[in-house]
Amino acid sequence: MPRLLKRIITVVVLGAALVAFVFPLYYLVATSLKGQAELYAAVPTLIPQAPTLDSYHSVLVDRGMSELLFNSTVAGVSATVLALIIAFAICYPITRLPVSRRVSAFVLNWSLSLRFLPPIAVVVPYYTIERALGLYNQLPALIIVYTIFNLPLSIWMLKGFLQEIPLELEEAAMVDGASRLRAFLRVLLPLTRTGVLAAGVVVFAFDWAEFLFAFILTATPQSMTFPVGVQGLVTQFEIIWNDMAAGGVIAIAVPLALMLVARRYVVAGLTFGVIRDK
Amino acid sequence: MTVLARRRSSWAARSRQERLGLRLLLPVLVTVVVVTTIPFVLAVVRALTSDAGQFIGLDNFTKALENGQLIEAVKQTAIYGAIVLPAEILLGLGLALLVHREVRSPGIRAAIYVAAIIPIVIPQIAVGVVFRLVFASDYGVINAALGLQGHDQILWLSQPALAMVSVASVDIWQWTPFVYLIMFAGFQTVPSESVEAAQVDGATSWTQFRHIELPYLRPLLLLVLFFRLADVLRVFDAVYVLTGGGPGATTQFLSLYLYRIAFRFSDLGQASALAVVVMIAMTLFYTVISRFLPVERA
Amino acid sequence: MKSQTWFASWLTLFVPILLVVTACSSGSTPSSGGGTPAGGTPAAGTPGGGTPASNVKLTIAAVQGVEDAGLKALAPMYTAKTGVQIVITESPYPDLYTKLVNAFGSNDATYDLFMMDDPWMPKFGTMGALSDLGAMGVTKDPDVAQIVWDVGTWPPPHGPVPPSEKAKTAQLLGVTIVGNVEMFMYRKDLTPTGPASYDEVLANATAQNKPNLAGYIIRGKATNPVVADFLPILWSFGGDVFDDNWNVVFDNPASLSAVQFLVDKLKPVAQADPASTDASDRDRLMAIGQGYQSSTWPGEINTAVLGPGTTVTGKVAFQPIPKGPSGKGVGMMGNWMLGIPKASKNQQAAADFIKWMLQADTQKTYAQNNGIPSRTSVLKDASLQAANPYFSVLADAFAAPPNWRPRTDQWNAVETIMGTELNAALAGQETSQDVVTKASSQIRTLMKGAGYPTTQ
Repeated sequence: MPRLLKRIITVVVLGAALVAFVFPLYYLVATSLKGQAELYAAVPTLIPQAPTLDSYHSVLVDRGMSELLFNSTVAGVSATVLALIIAFAICYPITRLPVSRRVSAFVLNWSLSLRFLPPIAVVVPYYTIERALGLYNQLPALIIVYTIFNLPLSIWMLKGFLQEIPLELEEAAMVDGASRLRAFLRVLLPLTRTGVLAAGVVVFAFDWAEFLFAFILTATPQSMTFPVGVQGLVTQFEIIWNDMAAGGVIAIAVPLALMLVARRYVVAGLTFGVIRDK
Repeated sequence: MTVLARRRSSWAARSRQERLGLRLLLPVLVTVVVVTTIPFVLAVVRALTSDAGQFIGLDNFTKALENGQLIEAVKQTAIYGAIVLPAEILLGLGLALLVHREVRSPGIRAAIYVAAIIPIVIPQIAVGVVFRLVFASDYGVINAALGLQGHDQILWLSQPALAMVSVASVDIWQWTPFVYLIMFAGFQTVPSESVEAAQVDGATSWTQFRHIELPYLRPLLLLVLFFRLADVLRVFDAVYVLTGGGPGATTQFLSLYLYRIAFRFSDLGQASALAVVVMIAMTLFYTVISRFLPVERA
Repeated sequence: MKSQTWFASWLTLFVPILLVVTACSSGSTPSSGGGTPAGGTPAAGTPGGGTPASNVKLTIAAVQGVEDAGLKALAPMYTAKTGVQIVITESPYPDLYTKLVNAFGSNDATYDLFMMDDPWMPKFGTMGALSDLGAMGVTKDPDVAQIVWDVGTWPPPHGPVPPSEKAKTAQLLGVTIVGNVEMFMYRKDLTPTGPASYDEVLANATAQNKPNLAGYIIRGKATNPVVADFLPILWSFGGDVFDDNWNVVFDNPASLSAVQFLVDKLKPVAQADPASTDASDRDRLMAIGQGYQSSTWPGEINTAVLGPGTTVTGKVAFQPIPKGPSGKGVGMMGNWMLGIPKASKNQQAAADFIKWMLQADTQKTYAQNNGIPSRTSVLKDASLQAANPYFSVLADAFAAPPNWRPRTDQWNAVETIMGTELNAALAGQETSQDVVTKASSQIRTLMKGAGYPTTQ
């Protein structure tokens, strides 16, 4: 009896939570499928009356935003790779070598404190720097900033994965005569592949969705990213919510697909290694 | 064999390894620290100078701190955090516990994962747009579903107290799944031996959670709380689209206020002073709360 | 072992670095970067086939929305005629301002031409960031109302001039490409004539207001929107923000009565949720027949009020702003202008484009392609009235003449302050008296800090 009751409560609670969390997404997709005239309906329609893909065509072709998708991809992938490389350079010594605790605690503290900076507080200085370097309105400007702002997450996720791999594996290789570099390349790197994949996917998703820096540091479609383009659809007068919704759906699709592919590793990476070594 | 290997390594050898560690670490670390510190230095310089570039002492700081709206923005941000953080942590933890205990089917678990990932990867701008379509008084879904028209409409985004709750609920919608995913991953790693031992001892579901799982998950919980706290100070895009800080200044949180000073008032001196104050305050704040964070176990 | 597979997977991770390098190098060669192809010709990136003589490329910063529709239509025609490539980069309204201030502040050469809303002129004029169009051969054609030339002139030829600008000689820095004066619209199927005064506005609103029909639609969203809706009322009531010496007069009795009119009298007969209503929300209400009257900008009429989903075709009439107790009705200008940043490296080519765009025949083509002209002869052109039922009224509104927003580089801040307080009052958070008291004191502090002489 209590077993059955429990099941019912579980189903009800989970069902309610799922509806609450999924409905706005559903409505985003539904709106993206509406034609312009339907947006004028006195009472909003829950199901598109005459579903059409016009708004997707409008966003990607008429408004030329497919180009922005390319920029987002380049900026996101590059920044993710850079952040992971730097995170590796930082995490390797603090997890594999007997670096003093003070140093490793400093690294972890400092990288977390980076996250406490509201981007809006540093966006103006960054703007000044990028202008001075001649990087304004260039993708590398975004790549640098994204790399920096996602270092905390990269460092923490990689650290979690690295400290899980027994030191003994490399040591054994080195005892067998391998150099440290060789042990790193041949033993450690292959073992971290899944961790790197997970961290990469999560970091990429954050880069992909970033808006404020992309908005301030870019000026033309040459370097604008997709979220800036979607924001551009919020016009004063026009009622083009369907195009905005289509932009939103497109923006979700890419990171969602990646998250699905890397599902198992992402979940494993989300504990950041903070509770494993107990 | 490993124990032997450890014993064999003399202090000298360890220190050689430690030197290698520092040699690998320092160049990268110094570069990154410098790159992240330059903006701070620039902000300090800008805050101490006039538009014409002359040194003007602390004028910009007095101007920034004397502005009554700053207090208001800090207050509203605090209220926002006080709604959002407990809600997200409790909901996320509760749902994770529920799924961990009661849902066995891998298919359903996978479906929940998908549903939980989407809010995290959706751009803030799209969040703002879709919730405007949900909350708008005359073409919004909620009022339509409730059958409210004309002056019976509930003004989700313009009635001051409601606007705060509406905006907060968007944050809860978007970030509870993040907490859920992390806590669910955490539950998976609780050692089954201790759980089984407790069950043999006749522990109830609650005591099992209270005395075994919760202490085990504590560091992770703190880390999540920390991440979310940091994000509350960054909240910007969705609110900007949803209310623009209104009604009045009800949802004008700290980052929206900074935007207003920097880009609406074009007062870069005052904005830089504010940014410096925020950065210093956050550093102090961080120093205090980091003592509770699981960094020492690295 | 499986070393090849993991090596391959690492290699794929490093390929993106090549992408970065490609991105860097393509960033510096302007031809491959692309841009929104003007006029929806996706092949705009390839060199124009017919006239390879010119390889000048003009980048225009434009506002996203209907305001640049005509410009986008004209651009490919100009390219076909002269071979000059035109890239139009759109940003939403508030973002465009932010981008331009940033660009001018750092002498950035990204834009050769840009669209500016007329209240931005003081900021850009004070920054000294714009080129003198007169010196590049743009002449003031009398077919365009004098006020339209004046609004593009800095320092302003009449009204208070900011203290820092008094010594400058007046130059033409912007030419209007979107004729824009705030007008009034009402449902002529419900009342045969429109309101002559704000008293009649209120009387009609009270008579028409019922469930599902707002007697008046207030555009009350915080900051710019509510201020744009309110200033014509303020001026028509004889109030103002500043007097001729930059003293704040927003708390004088006339100004207070204007705020009271909006908050205490109009709001009870307006739509349910004025505080979060922006222009698109107002237009939607009008279009679905749930609003009786409101103010309107020319730009919102054809695409939104009478747009694709409208139910009020032929039922909406347009007229100038009604008269207030002051005895006059004062419309507000919101002209969109084109200007050339001093930093642009294509000054003369940009000026040539402006000159071509202002020609009478180009202006007519422009009007036929959803552009809103400013030439009186084009606005009065009989062949254009059917598609643009407000053109003739707009010409009259220019001749009236309309007012402009105070010519100070602090206007954005002033507008933000007023807009926040008015919005709070519309949300029921404060009284009309609070609005004028709080806003005035903040504006005084602001202006004093910005170096304006004040006797208060």
